[in-house]
Amino acid sequence: MNEESGFTRHGNNAFVAQFSESEREVLINLAGQIIELLSERSDHADEDPLAAMVGITTHDSPPDDEVLLRLLPNAYADGVDAAEFRRYTESVLRNKKKAHAMSMRVLLKSAQDGAIELDHDNANAWLGAINDIRLALGVRLNVQERSHDELELLAPDDPLRGVYAVYSWLGWLQESLLQALMDDSPNEVN
Amino acid sequence: MVKTKTKIEEEIQAIFNSDKPWVTIVWDDPVNLMTYVTYVFMELFGYSKERATELMLKVHNDGKAVVSTGSREEMEHDVARLHECGLWATLQRGDQAL
Repeated sequence: MNEESGFTRHGNNAFVAQFSESEREVLINLAGQIIELLSERSDHADEDPLAAMVGITTHDSPPDDEVLLRLLPNAYADGVDAAEFRRYTESVLRNKKKAHAMSMRVLLKSAQDGAIELDHDNANAWLGAINDIRLALGVRLNVQERSHDELELLAPDDPLRGVYAVYSWLGWLQESLLQALMDDSPNEVN
Repeated sequence: MVKTKTKIEEEIQAIFNSDKPWVTIVWDDPVNLMTYVTYVFMELFGYSKERATELMLKVHNDGKAVVSTGSREEMEHDVARLHECGLWATLQRGDQAL
């Protein structure tokens, strides 16, 4: 990232950042992986097409995949209530998360010079997309169990070291966008 | 018999009484940035930065916090919006032990 600045606010409703070619590629790639992950098991052949049209799915069990379960968590502690809620809401949630990642991916793909400018709505989509990627990487890194220090001290040849570097960078990028958004936010005048 | 009937009526009344508050709970998560959680509370619920920060710290320090109360439908809506943002949220009856 140029000058280590991340996102900065320009005027009332513009949040700009300059990405290097490799940063741009990493983000496009990760957004693509999230889209792919969220598309799994959403187009089952046995799906009732009418029900699918209105967002009702025939499956109601929580996802087996640990990452998907974190992205699509249970809404109730009770299994029956959780399954009922999932049946009526999971496909909507998947599509909204996919839309966030797609919005990020499309903008990055069209910005070949790496210059990105977001309005407030786009910024919220990016925050959601970056967060979903961080949640996914967090599961792979097992941040629930591992301490920050432990992750900092991963051996140079440990494949997770690169994952942790991207995870940390995304946290820094997200924080810069948040600071730009909350700077002068009208909500502060309460 | 009369008493039993009254009790059943009371129970039926309780079931249909939608005043019973439900609550939305946000659980602590080691991934979500503190700034992000604060921002989401401000965006979704229109809370002031002070109130949102206070709630975020409660989640962080206590492991969970009630972030909104209302009807079951309203809380399902809130949980869905929180899930969309990637926060770990559940809903339950407000009178259940927290």
